[in-house]
Amino acid sequence: MRGGNFEARRSSSVGRRSAGRNGWARTTHGAAAAIALASLTAGCTSATEKPVPSNKPEPGTLRILASSELADMKSVLEQIQQDTGIKVRPTYMGTLDAVNLLGKDKAKGTYDAIWLSSNDYLRLNPTAAQQIVSETPVMSSPVAIGVKNATVRKLNWKPENVTWADIEKAVADGDLTYGMTDPSRSNSGFSTLVSVASGLSDAQSALTDKDVQQATPRLAEFFKGQKLTSGSSGWLAEAYDRRGDVDALLNYESVLKSRKDLTVIRPRDGVVTADYPLSSLTSTSQAVRDDVRRLTEALRAPAAQRLITDSTLRRPVVASVPPATGLDTTRRRELPFPGSRSVADGLLDAYENKLRRPSRTVYVLDTSGSMGEDGRLDRLKKALTDLTGDFRDREEVTLMPFGSAVKSVRTHVVRPENPRSGLDGIRRDTEALTADGDTAIYTSLEKAYEHLGADDDTFTSIVLMTDGENTAGASPAQFDGFYGGLPQAEREIPVFPILFGDSDRGELEHIAELTGGRLFDAQKGSLDGAFEEIRGYQ
Amino acid sequence: MRRIVAIVLAVFLIGGVAAAVVAGREEQDKSTATKTVLGVIGSEKAEFFADPDVVKALAAKGYTLKTETSGSWAMEGLDLKGYDFAFPSSQAPADELAAKYGVRQPLPRPFYSPLVVVAHRSAAGVLADNGLATLPAKGNGTFRMSAYLKAAGADRTWQQLKGAERHGELSGTLFISTTDPTSSNSGALYLAAASYVADGGRVADGTAAVNRTAPLMRKLISVQGAQQTSSDAAFRDFISGVGNPLVLVYESQVASLLAQGQDVGDLTVLYPDTTANSDHTVVPLTDEGRALGELLGTDKELRKLAVRHGFRPQGTSAEFTAATAAHTTYLNQKLTGVRQSPVPASKVLHEMARRARG
Repeated sequence: MRGGNFEARRSSSVGRRSAGRNGWARTTHGAAAAIALASLTAGCTSATEKPVPSNKPEPGTLRILASSELADMKSVLEQIQQDTGIKVRPTYMGTLDAVNLLGKDKAKGTYDAIWLSSNDYLRLNPTAAQQIVSETPVMSSPVAIGVKNATVRKLNWKPENVTWADIEKAVADGDLTYGMTDPSRSNSGFSTLVSVASGLSDAQSALTDKDVQQATPRLAEFFKGQKLTSGSSGWLAEAYDRRGDVDALLNYESVLKSRKDLTVIRPRDGVVTADYPLSSLTSTSQAVRDDVRRLTEALRAPAAQRLITDSTLRRPVVASVPPATGLDTTRRRELPFPGSRSVADGLLDAYENKLRRPSRTVYVLDTSGSMGEDGRLDRLKKALTDLTGDFRDREEVTLMPFGSAVKSVRTHVVRPENPRSGLDGIRRDTEALTADGDTAIYTSLEKAYEHLGADDDTFTSIVLMTDGENTAGASPAQFDGFYGGLPQAEREIPVFPILFGDSDRGELEHIAELTGGRLFDAQKGSLDGAFEEIRGYQ
Repeated sequence: MRRIVAIVLAVFLIGGVAAAVVAGREEQDKSTATKTVLGVIGSEKAEFFADPDVVKALAAKGYTLKTETSGSWAMEGLDLKGYDFAFPSSQAPADELAAKYGVRQPLPRPFYSPLVVVAHRSAAGVLADNGLATLPAKGNGTFRMSAYLKAAGADRTWQQLKGAERHGELSGTLFISTTDPTSSNSGALYLAAASYVADGGRVADGTAAVNRTAPLMRKLISVQGAQQTSSDAAFRDFISGVGNPLVLVYESQVASLLAQGQDVGDLTVLYPDTTANSDHTVVPLTDEGRALGELLGTDKELRKLAVRHGFRPQGTSAEFTAATAAHTTYLNQKLTGVRQSPVPASKVLHEMARRARG
């Protein structure tokens, strides 16, 4: 299944370049499912393999394809099972991937219901939309900005009066920086992007292509304030804590409210709200749909609604239950969600290729002798070549293959006026990789840090792919010392190690932890999947 | 695109039919007294037919009912062989189906429900203060369609209405949220009523008429952005406090919620002075189907149950008036000051919806 997805991605990147690398097409890869899963695990390890559990039907059990953030509904669902006997077997997946799965008509027979943070995406995909029989919102949470209490005081903000324009001004004045998740991979990120674009475009109704174009200069200014990007809400919060110098986070209110150090502001001029509709499917039997209906009713019963709002800080959807303490009850305008795919795609495309700060990445690639075994080098070449369909305009990619030492340092930039030449360069250098020598992990990492240096205008990161233990050059302790001696700005560059072949989990986990990165597992999953997943963090 | 809808639905329906037929046969073996009747219904009636009291009332008359839901407009694309009846939520698709299957008129129309606009009190008050609505009572009033269409045509925003500045949520273009008119009945009926008013009280009868109102209809739909596919989801979002200040729903949805004794918060029901009715019309495909359709409209118990689900039974209004006596705050029982808009023929309405959706 993943192979198919990658094929689609590759072929689209050959055709309409920008559509292939951006927008919806890029969300078709299977790895985002794993991102969703990864965001649930507290540790820094993540599985990059899409789980393929046997999902056979079982009477009395509803197999639900659910947004990853719904993992926090466990206790509520347990309570409902006790009360109604309906058991839920969730499969967590990123919203975009779930929509894609429905769009390819692959939910049939595997899932009894769909439960996403929002069906807004889904409605833009006709095939996916036609598979929903009925949908009922279960709870809600608007996009909000959580700002450090001290920053709120410094800006002299009254939280209830803050508008998107106020936020824009604070960013432009250099008084506010923030982090948000990647809109191409995370529903909270995309909802945030729509909120910001609507809020700053002066559009009075649903965004059009023209609105997006007109707002581009303001949006570009706004996204200069974005200091953190992430493929998942979980890592975003970790990185935010680690950095300490970022002022705010953009995410769902429920995520932000769980932190005591943030003042949560719903901009006065409008928000996009996730309403978590539990949706039954045309492909299911009437008996199953009846169970879905019963589950929906149970979730909307006042007692369940109280439990939901108290335990998840989302808002209840029945008028008789008040929101949890601390959730402001004044109404907000709901910003209309784009009504066409072209607007949604256009917005994502603009964000990735024009608006956000570009990324600079060093790929530290183990091409030691052992990579010649088991077709490992070929897998690396294939994964990297596939990845070229996914690089954004303005992105700087450095390939740093190593064995006993760094073998070469080759930097390519995807220039908007001629992206092909940069991408062809990456493919050429990838093809030329050969396997020989020992494994000098730490010496090579030090070189990568030196190459990147301090850079405040880009998202900088290092990807480390190795299939073995460190056998040459600097020792782990020496690297720790090297890292500790770096200036603060350089210590903010995270390393994303990929566990592959015979590499040492403990060694790589240490690197991820030390540098504020995150470990990706290509031993259980695929190398393609790991590279893809890391894109959300670059 | 509608073709695709129909095909997808047809596939699942065929599965449903096979299962239902088998189930029906088994039951008939056990008890020859009940007739199993198979129907395809609009989703807004699913709760009615699932109501245990409705099941009991039908059983008392010797019927076991099996239903599958489908969008009213999608029924035209289905192969209804093996079904006893189809039950779309308005007359236009019912007439199309009747013509297709050679069903004799008149068709049983057991109950109906007018389209209404729901608003929170703040929004309703601002509309009233600006001549877009009249609000004689706290929970219900009249929505002035021609004034609204004029405002919509001029891209009027909430900010331009006096009094809106007191309510933070009232900003942006003034519009009514509806379902997607190309796939859902209520969205299509909205265009029927709006085009009727916009064209000076003329029912669109062809392309020329559709042309006359097309730019305005396009505007009414495009400002909404992504639309819900069912009025059920739209209403629930509204009750949840999520979404646009003005939402088009069936009166039956409001009445049903009130009948269940649910808290509706500061809901205000605005009856458009010209509105379209959802005429729930049975298209009998067999004699059993016709008998069942007649029964729904004549059986006292079933009429009473229809009222419980918010529908207005055809003929006398006494039952609806009596049953909703406690809810006159929200409901305009006699539909005073509400004019019924005729609905264009199915083909014309389709064309109108398609062009409005763009």
